[in-house]
Formats: sequence, C-alpha cells, structure tokens
Amino acid sequence: MNLQIDAIRECFEGVIPASAATCSKDGTPNIAYLSQVNFVDNEHVALSYQFFNATRRNIMDNPCVALMVTSPVTMLQYRLRLQYLHTETTGPLFESMKAKLAGIASHVGMSGVFRLLGADVCRVLEIEQLPGEGLLAPPQKRNLLAALRTCTERLAACADLDRLLAQTLDSLREYFGVRYAMILMLDEPGKRLYTVASHGYEASGIGSEIPLGHGVIGVAARERTPIRIGHMSVEYGYTRAIRDNTRDSNLANALETEIPFPGLAMPCSQLAVPILAGPQLLGVLYVESDKDLSFSWDDEDALVSLARQLGMAIHILQSTADCGEEEPAAAVAPLAAAGAPVVVRHYRETDSVFLGDDYLIKGVAGSILWTLLHDYVHRQRTEFTNRELRLDARLRLPDVRDNLEARLILLGKRLVERNAPVRIEKTGRGRFRICVSCPVQLLDTSV
Amino acid sequence: MGLAACDNALNPTLVRATGCSISGDLKQVTAFVPASKAAALLQCVRQNGRVSMVFSKPTTYRTVQLKGRNAVVRGLAEGDLDVVEAYRRAFTREVGQVGFGAAHVEALLGCADDDIVGISFTPDEAYDQTPGPKAGEPLNAAP
Repeated sequence: MNLQIDAIRECFEGVIPASAATCSKDGTPNIAYLSQVNFVDNEHVALSYQFFNATRRNIMDNPCVALMVTSPVTMLQYRLRLQYLHTETTGPLFESMKAKLAGIASHVGMSGVFRLLGADVCRVLEIEQLPGEGLLAPPQKRNLLAALRTCTERLAACADLDRLLAQTLDSLREYFGVRYAMILMLDEPGKRLYTVASHGYEASGIGSEIPLGHGVIGVAARERTPIRIGHMSVEYGYTRAIRDNTRDSNLANALETEIPFPGLAMPCSQLAVPILAGPQLLGVLYVESDKDLSFSWDDEDALVSLARQLGMAIHILQSTADCGEEEPAAAVAPLAAAGAPVVVRHYRETDSVFLGDDYLIKGVAGSILWTLLHDYVHRQRTEFTNRELRLDARLRLPDVRDNLEARLILLGKRLVERNAPVRIEKTGRGRFRICVSCPVQLLDTSV
Repeated sequence: MGLAACDNALNPTLVRATGCSISGDLKQVTAFVPASKAAALLQCVRQNGRVSMVFSKPTTYRTVQLKGRNAVVRGLAEGDLDVVEAYRRAFTREVGQVGFGAAHVEALLGCADDDIVGISFTPDEAYDQTPGPKAGEPLNAAP
C-alpha cells in the first residue's frame, strides 16, 4: 500500500459524508452514506453502526466493503477496499466515536436520531486515489511538529509543578494558538477531576470538579483516550456535567457553593486528552474553541504527545518533590496577627472549609488547610514540609500516588482568589510556610 | 449521488455520479459517471447488471436509494451532456449553501466530456434512506 491512511485523515472529519458499498449474499449491491468513519491506525478504520440496515445485514454476511471518502481540502476522492473484522460496543474507540457522533448529530439536526450502536472495525486492504486535479491545499498556519518540539523543551526546563502547569498552558497559547485551555487532576477515590490550572477564561475555575465519565473531559479520563468533538454538543457539554454533579450532591455538599466550571458556555470544538504516566491516569488536558472543527487529527496527535510529556514530567517531579536537599528556609516566628478574627469552619464529612460564610475548598485540599491551621493555632507552627504532610495520618491522603503538590497548588490558588487572610508560600523544594494575617478561630463541626 | 455494483465474487465497488436522467416513460434511470473513475464498477455492471444508486440532498439530508438488475453501460446520447451540466450547476447551488464554492464542485465532479458514460437501469426496488425512524423502509408508488 503506497498511500497510508494517516495521510488522508482529513477525509474522516465528517465534512463531506463518506459512502459505503456492500453486497448481500445473493449479489445485490447496496450503497449508503455513513455518519462517521474513524481512523484507528494505519491498517484499520472503524465505521459507525447506528441502525440495523442493509449495510449492517450485508457486512454480517459478506465482510467486503468499498468506501468512498473525499478530502474537504483538495476535493480528491479515495476509494478504500475494506474487510469488516468485528464490532466494539464499549471501550475507548466506541466512546470516542460516540462523542464525535453526538457532535455530528447536533450539527446536522439529528440529535436523538443518531445513536451509536457499535464501532465496526475494518481492515483496510487497499487505498485508491481516484484520478482528478484536486485543489491546492492552503499552507498550514503552523508546523505542529516544531511547536511540539519547542513545548517539550520548555516543559523539561520546569523545576516544580506549578511552573510546569503554567508553562504548558502558556505554550499551548503561544505555539498551538489555543485560546482556551485547562488542566484537571484526578482525585481517584472521589472518582472526579479537579481543575488546577486554566487560561483564557474570565474566572479561573480553580477547584471546580468534573465527575469521571461526564462530558468530554470525564469520558476522556474514564476511558483513558482522547475525545475530540468538532461541533457543539449539548450531550457532552460540561454545563450538564456540572448540573448532574450538583443534583447528585449529598446534604453536606449541598451546603456549599460549587465552584463554577470555567469553560465556554457553547464550545464548538472540544478536545480532552488524558495525562498519563505509564498506565496511570494523572489528569486531563482540555482545550476548546468557539469555532467548529478547530482541532484536527494532527492537533490531537500533537496534544496527546504533549500530554505524555506532561505526564512524565509530573511523575518525575512528584517522585523527587519530597527529597529536597536544600537547607530549610529560616523559620519565621509567627507574627501575632491583629484585627478581627476570622472564623474557619470545617465540616468533617466532606472536609469542606469555610472562611467566615464563604466556601473555600473541600476534600483533600480542605483537609490540608484544616491541618495546617490547626498546627498554626495550637502549636504556633508556620513551616511545613510536603513529606510530613504526606505521612500525616490526620490528612487521610487517599493514596501514596496522590499528587499532594497538585492539592497544594489548588489550595494556594484558591486562597489567593478568595483573598483569604491565609497564604501558602513556597520556601524551597518540598517546603512551604503559611502566612496568616489575622487571628484565626477554628470551628470543627459536622452537618 | 452515487452508484454501487459488485462483481460475481461479491466484491462491491462504488463511484460518485455526475448527473442522471429519467426516461420519458419514467421507467428507466440513467446515471452518468466518469469512466476513468468507474472502471471497476463498469466491469461489474457488464458482469451481472446489478446496481444500487443513492440520491441525497446535502441541505436536507433527504436520501433515496434505487436498485436495478438490468443495468447496461451505454455511450452518451444527444442532450446527455446538457443533463450533466445542469446537474453540476444545481449541485453547485446546493452545496454553496453549506460552504463549498464552484471550484470545489469542479474539482469533485469535473471531467472531460468524452470520459462520461451512461449506466441505464430499470429500478425495481426503492428505499427511503433519510436518517430517522423511516430509514430503510421501501418507497411505494403513489396509488
């Protein structure tokens, strides 16, 4: 095969519908349009199976398929000879096609009509480019490989997690032209992801949460596969994810004001890429756009590679975070904070922390803050190390693999955003202090 | 519009059509296809005469499929090129509404006049293929 499938992937973006020819056992040909052809690898594509129709009946009897696809860029046509292999009804390929189909359905006014029953995986036996002049492809806006190389080098130079996350988002904007992006980390026992960095939005949304399996981000995390949608889809929007999240909240959660998710209200293109370190899911890198079809297969490849680099970098930083050899910073004696005291309320069930009447944070980050303030009030301590926190039984950290640094970044950012009288200040690798600017009164309670 | 056929070993193939005409007695459909892109399909038609043809309107997704068993390959008759030209103009207007220009249509459907051949058949089955609950249902002639 001279022409590789990955060289004609623009034909599979759904701009010009593909058509498939099949043939029954008695030799009756059938021709039908397909909602979606998905690139699997250079030997396979998957066809969307939505209805039990003649195409479906035919391929069950006779696995030979002829597929016609057209490049929306050059208008060149390609005829593919396929052999049907099997159908997937769960898993990463199915979920990725299901999400894409939801976008396509919404775009063509077929929401509720188009429903993916399966991903029909086919081996590609031959690709034939049909004769024709074809239009000249316009020059690419940017070279994605060069962008990826620069970003990778920049990520490698980051010495701490906070810098690494910021650099990732800066690089996406500068080298990939991505205006809206966020990074979410996995809270494994909570089966949810929390936003730890974002750019492009009016409110940062730091601390907002997405349950696993909800929306583009939640599905990408659950299936550990990129999810890319080229058109607005209500089904995969996170407005709904958040609504469901709120609906499912228990009484303790209901006391809080959920931190609003920062994303666009009507994203036209969405791409969520899992951040993995080896097989372990660390979080999700999410980008979106207010224009249709903003992210191509090549963009997806680039971001998957970038997220892989990010995952490895997070993993390395995490494994070295606690073994800093720097001298501890000179301890600063806690100042006797003056002024009206702030009442810090802690709800044990959810580790939710309120400053006065304002909700600040919950979960592991809430538990960390409560522990720090407890030691500040009762032991006059201000200097802490990541290592002691990791070992502190009071925190009930979910797992040794849990990213404590990410929780501290989240907490630090929330304190700044809420203009809290408590701040976290890094004093060295694996060390930090808390700065408290008014008297603190602790109130431990349950709902 | 597109046309599919299969050889006697049950290997299907297909090609995009560039217009079609209907006989005066409304019994026969002729699809026009570029021979240079349809070599395999023409061979299948010559083998067994069985074809399937799909028509879809890009702006409404209304889709219909016809099937026939007696297809033959024929040269162009007088007026056929006018039909092809009219189809290209109509298709340009139609896809212009979904963002494609005349240059796109020319690249997709353009070919030398002497490359075009006709495939004539009598439809003996017709199906509604518009996405939705009625997809796949036979189309029946109005009583």
